[in-house]
Amino acid sequence: MTNFAIKLDGVGKKYRYFTLDNIQLELSPGQIMGLIGPNGAGKSTTIRILMGLIHQDHGDVRVLGHRMPAEQVAAKWDIGFASEDMRLYDAMTLDWHMRFIRSIYPQWDQTYAQLLLKRFGLRAEQKIKGFSHGQRVKATLLLVLARRPRLLVLDEPTTGLDPVARHEILRELTAVMNDEGRSILFSSHNTQDVEQISDQITFIDRGRIIDSLDKEAYLNRWRRLRLEAPLGIELPALPGIINIRQSGRLAIATANEFVPGIAAAYENSGARIQMIENMTLEEIFVAKVELSRDEHEEVGA
Amino acid sequence: MKRSVIQTLILTDLRRHRLPILACIASGIFALGLIRIGGELPVILGTIWFFTGLIVLGCLLPGTNVINERKKQTLPFLMSLPVSITQFTTAKIVSTVGMFIVPWLTLVIAAVLFILGHPRLPDGMIPVVLAIATLTLVGFCLIAGVALVSEAEGPMAAAMVVANSSYGLGWYLLVRMPGVRAGLASPEIIWGKEILTVLGFEFAVIVLILGLTIYLQSRKRDFV
Repeated sequence: MTNFAIKLDGVGKKYRYFTLDNIQLELSPGQIMGLIGPNGAGKSTTIRILMGLIHQDHGDVRVLGHRMPAEQVAAKWDIGFASEDMRLYDAMTLDWHMRFIRSIYPQWDQTYAQLLLKRFGLRAEQKIKGFSHGQRVKATLLLVLARRPRLLVLDEPTTGLDPVARHEILRELTAVMNDEGRSILFSSHNTQDVEQISDQITFIDRGRIIDSLDKEAYLNRWRRLRLEAPLGIELPALPGIINIRQSGRLAIATANEFVPGIAAAYENSGARIQMIENMTLEEIFVAKVELSRDEHEEVGA
Repeated sequence: MKRSVIQTLILTDLRRHRLPILACIASGIFALGLIRIGGELPVILGTIWFFTGLIVLGCLLPGTNVINERKKQTLPFLMSLPVSITQFTTAKIVSTVGMFIVPWLTLVIAAVLFILGHPRLPDGMIPVVLAIATLTLVGFCLIAGVALVSEAEGPMAAAMVVANSSYGLGWYLLVRMPGVRAGLASPEIIWGKEILTVLGFEFAVIVLILGLTIYLQSRKRDFV
């Protein structure tokens, strides 16, 4: 049996106005997974369930081999969790927080903590209330990283940060992965951040996982084809094409399983290929969400 | 020896709140000093001051130690540590009650010694003072329990109203009990059936509130 860092199997949670539905998620050791979804998609709920902070209504959750939420104490010794809404004690200094965490985690690495202080440009003797938002996020991350967790769970850690601070944090997360046993689950609605560091991407929307693949597979499979179709020519419906938008003679086809045969098929139908473009992760994400919502509405109708 | 996470959380809370605790003790000692001066006004002022200090601390601690964890969003930070919801609740109950018990016990002992050492105050007052002081402990436990379970200011404020109203009512009912009234002016401490029943009832309510708090917290499915 494979030992996953995270494994969610058929997990669900029902609220009055939101349902997390049948979540399947697997993260192998040494992998970075980006969990991308719009606001209110269920990213934070999923993360809180896997941290044991919210109990699922049904389904099995295992984190580092521990069943959650029952074994959350054992699991949390090896998890570093930081979320966008997490705050430190305003009236206390960063040094106080470092001593607090060090008193709990025997694996606390003081040398690494000092190094992070320098890299992040933080002053340990400063009270948290004097920190900017970016400094607070970095301070939280320092407290999480210096305890050397096997699994990092980060819920929107880069939200509201300036580009320099974002870059510093993403660089540090990439450096953490030099230790191959570590895994990161990283949620964001910022696809650029996720694209930079993730090996694996999972899209979530309206409480459902709509796709989960490794990053290269997404970038290799998705293409946008710009076509010129003379009037009277009907573009064929081809497997792998999820959407065609036509305006006069010009058409844009979106492929989620692109193979060169698709271009050939369009040319055989009388259309001319103007351009085949790679798609960014953001474009793929938006296309995937739209497709998922259309399919869901059709099923519901 | 390595401390457990629960112990660490308790000690951290105690360290963060040492100033209000010390201020309450200082305020209580000052109140006893006022009573020591003698005369009607200083005694009345001193008695009010003495209990007001405890009541204010009893209202302040659940707010700063429990409600603020959610309001100021430090709860996710604490819950990211290796603790379960029940362990966290236990730590919060022990630290919050402990922070109140330290000045409460200090001042209750100081008040008892003060009465015993004061030539004009009858020792028979001591059971009544203990019963009233224990009522502030009951009120505090109610406020702390409601704060922990509800994690909201509204229900906590309602608990404060109930607790603070009960102090005056408790005093009123207590001194009207014939057995208690008879012993009040006695030069010796009289542990009558009525006062022991009152004290027993108060401690039973404390155990009930704390037990119910832990039970309700352990049933929570969504914590952060």
